[in-house]
Amino acid sequence: MTVDLIGVGKSYAGTAALSDITLSFGRGVTGLLGPNGAGKTTLLRIVATSIAADRGRVRLLGGDPHASHAELTQVRRGLGYLPQELGYPGDMTTYGFVEYVAVLKEWNDRRARQREVRRVLELVGLADLAGKRVAKLSGGQRRRVGLAQALLGDPRLLVLDEPTTGLDPAQRATLRRTLSVVAHEATVLLSTHQTEDVAALCERVVVLAAGQVRFDGTVVDLVATAAGRVWLTDHDVPDAAVTWRTGTGRHRVVGGSPPPGAESAEPTLEDAYLLMLGADAAVSALPA
Amino acid sequence: MTADTTWHAGHTLLRAYVEGRLDAVLGASLERHLDGCPACRADIRPLVDPPLLDQSWSGLRTAVESPPPPWLVRLARRLGLPESTGVLLAATASLRTAWLSSAFVALGFAVAATLLRGDVLWPFLLVAPLIPVLGVAAAYGPSEDPFEALAVTAPYGRTRLILVRSLAVLVTSVPGACLLGLAVPGPAWVAVAWLGPALTMLPLVLALASWVGPRLAGAVMALVWCGVVLGSVRRLPATWPVEATQQLTYLALATAAVAVLLVRSRRTRRIGAVL
Repeated sequence: MTVDLIGVGKSYAGTAALSDITLSFGRGVTGLLGPNGAGKTTLLRIVATSIAADRGRVRLLGGDPHASHAELTQVRRGLGYLPQELGYPGDMTTYGFVEYVAVLKEWNDRRARQREVRRVLELVGLADLAGKRVAKLSGGQRRRVGLAQALLGDPRLLVLDEPTTGLDPAQRATLRRTLSVVAHEATVLLSTHQTEDVAALCERVVVLAAGQVRFDGTVVDLVATAAGRVWLTDHDVPDAAVTWRTGTGRHRVVGGSPPPGAESAEPTLEDAYLLMLGADAAVSALPA
Repeated sequence: MTADTTWHAGHTLLRAYVEGRLDAVLGASLERHLDGCPACRADIRPLVDPPLLDQSWSGLRTAVESPPPPWLVRLARRLGLPESTGVLLAATASLRTAWLSSAFVALGFAVAATLLRGDVLWPFLLVAPLIPVLGVAAAYGPSEDPFEALAVTAPYGRTRLILVRSLAVLVTSVPGACLLGLAVPGPAWVAVAWLGPALTMLPLVLALASWVGPRLAGAVMALVWCGVVLGSVRRLPATWPVEATQQLTYLALATAAVAVLLVRSRRTRRIGAVL
């Protein structure tokens, strides 16, 4: 396996962000789904060697990042990482930024580096904006600059923290195409708030809540957990776990007991996700 | 060019051209013909190896479309530094023209102040050592800084990057500050003596930054240095902050700071804990 986590935990100032996570990831795309504060970013930062775990064992690309500096560097050579937030100095061009990261990734030969920077910029559809300042790009374009630097050198382990934020539907589709090509050879780990992204991109999905794994399996299996527990009704159901009024004026009810006169509906990934989070989701869905 | 010519290059001739077997004159005249003859251009296309064509085309695009490197990269190349190091330095905030020029304007004012009064040194002694020290502190952000996040996880290594940036700050700021120091009244050795506290504060600022981050470390260092210089103004000689006894103290402090840095980076295995 490319990534092996055994009993991994991490706390910030006494509050557990992750507790006792045991997961393995191999080739293909895995999506991390979960509400804000579930520990997705912490987990991805540990896998990207940006922070160290407090407890447990971490093995990445066959090496132990905590063993020695040499082994850590070896792991980092096979890693591409898109952090949740990326900073860009104001006067840096798109090309300059990606080239800077390429040097940090040890692309020392100028010609090879220029070719590689061009290649990743073309891959994310930014070749025409190479000379433009990053500060003048739109949010979605900036996200793609971040993605471009993560793809430098075809990493064997690609860690993407919310890669779809700020992308419009067409750009999302492009991203999906790019990742599906990359995923043949690489292990891709991405986090998102969007269940559609997971449905379209990921073979496997891990649901995190309050620092723990709530579900780990295929997308189909996650959807199946909601089978027979989703209904459409004409009246509001106050005691349902999750319910909302849809665009057609009917109420969609997820979980709980079937309301009288309700019609059974085909579950979606979102239904299954909301059902899985249960009380947490219901609380966060209430107006403050 | 008109295309209404009756002559066309044959297959053998085109193949000889593609394989580079024609002499210069024949090759050049065939190229002239190809410029104006769509039929022959269509004939030659299948003879050219497509990957080779793509490769030369992408090479050409790279050369034409890659923006020219910033002045710092060109300067680094002139100085014989690896070009890749120049790319890293170009991303350093305190190596930018704006930062450097404001630093030297500040030092210029300090020198002017000493010249106007004629008998004081403290404005120069106050500002000169702080230029490289604050430059180093401004050369990188804390490891949680969004721009630094990528340096933390890159194989190049953040510690190495910080040291390279610090060296570059020294190289760009020290010679100019020494030259300005020559204009200051008083003994000539003052023009270089301020390097003592400056070189002491560098490891101190790096060591302190490993606990509190570079911004706060720089601010603390600046306050301490202001205290030392301004505290000596009233009762002590003008050159007191850079005299031999004080320089020995600085040396001891610098050694201690380097030792702290070494021990901390050796002991702390945690990723990104030091620097």
